[in-house]
Amino acid sequence: MNDHEKIRELLTLLAAGVLEPHEEKQVMDHLRSCESCSAELEDWKLLAGGLRRLPTPQPRSLVVERARAQAQIRLNEEFEHRWNRGVIVGLIVFAWVLTLLSWPLVRLLTGGLLGMLVPGFSHEWIVFGAFTTSVWLAGGAAAVLLSMQHRRERRLA
Amino acid sequence: MSLFRVLARSMDMISGIAGFRLNMHSISGLGDPAAYWEGQVALESDVAQLRGGDLDALSALLTRYQNRLYRYLLRLVREPAEAEDLFQQTWLRVAEKIRQYDPRRNFEAWLFTLARNLAIDHLRRIRPESLDQPAADTEGESAAARLPSHERPAIEGILARERAGRLGAALEMLPMVQREVLTLRFEEEMKLEEIAEVLDAPLSTVKTRLRRALERLREMLETQYPGENWQ
Repeated sequence: MNDHEKIRELLTLLAAGVLEPHEEKQVMDHLRSCESCSAELEDWKLLAGGLRRLPTPQPRSLVVERARAQAQIRLNEEFEHRWNRGVIVGLIVFAWVLTLLSWPLVRLLTGGLLGMLVPGFSHEWIVFGAFTTSVWLAGGAAAVLLSMQHRRERRLA
Repeated sequence: MSLFRVLARSMDMISGIAGFRLNMHSISGLGDPAAYWEGQVALESDVAQLRGGDLDALSALLTRYQNRLYRYLLRLVREPAEAEDLFQQTWLRVAEKIRQYDPRRNFEAWLFTLARNLAIDHLRRIRPESLDQPAADTEGESAAARLPSHERPAIEGILARERAGRLGAALEMLPMVQREVLTLRFEEEMKLEEIAEVLDAPLSTVKTRLRRALERLREMLETQYPGENWQ
């Protein structure tokens, strides 16, 4: 491929305005001495101009308003979900802190100050652990069921 | 006078007579730098507010991009009803994903990428062949011909619109990858880097697609309307 052919390939991109400055300079230098390429570039520029000036189709206002209303509802839902997620995480952290703090308190009440220093599990500890675990499992199951129901409702809506 | 000179003259006539070229992007982007930067600041502010859940910001962005987004979708899917449906889906997706949007990215490129992904999924589901094939059906009205009509008192205007319709129809005949690169460059006036971001393709690929698309379009116009007197 000689220089003339290479430049000719670049003419479309020059008309599209996407050539690098050094390529553009190369083409412009060539155009000064090549009439056929100059004429060819004019044609490409006219086609590019035609594309730039194509009429802009517009969506119906009814469609735009519906899109606006639906998107606003969805945006509200998304922020409500985020808020709910934040509240749930906060409650979980709070519940865990309360649970962990209540263990030494129970120990204190059942065994006195000295009882807290004695390591190892006692009968009360096993009952307390089982009670805590079952409460957490019940809470988790309820949260999963509620979330599934909420998702089903959203899908139907 | 060559076909393209006639075509360009007719396009000038259309924009001059009807004045319905509403691309504020190009006006602000190329005309007045101060207005351009003002527009950019307003855009960034709207996007930041939308990320905070502001409904008015969503409304402002929808108003700002409604014509350009719809035009892009229409160029991709070619059917107004499908483009309208995708238009609504795109804004729902914006509401869902705006928290995941990285403010360092170009919002326009992000928005058009969302729209493009939805359009491609839709075409894969409905007309998988249309993704890489030019339109086979040339009968009936083209999308360009279905554009809102405006009063044009002179016969010149009517003829000019007809020519614009033909260019639009020829554009519709191109494969999707070529249609989209042309519309992103010439109608949306995106930079090469922005187009590459939307298409998720290297710059060299975008350049090649652009060149081939223009060559194919010209070839089509010359084949379909050989020696036609466009005046």
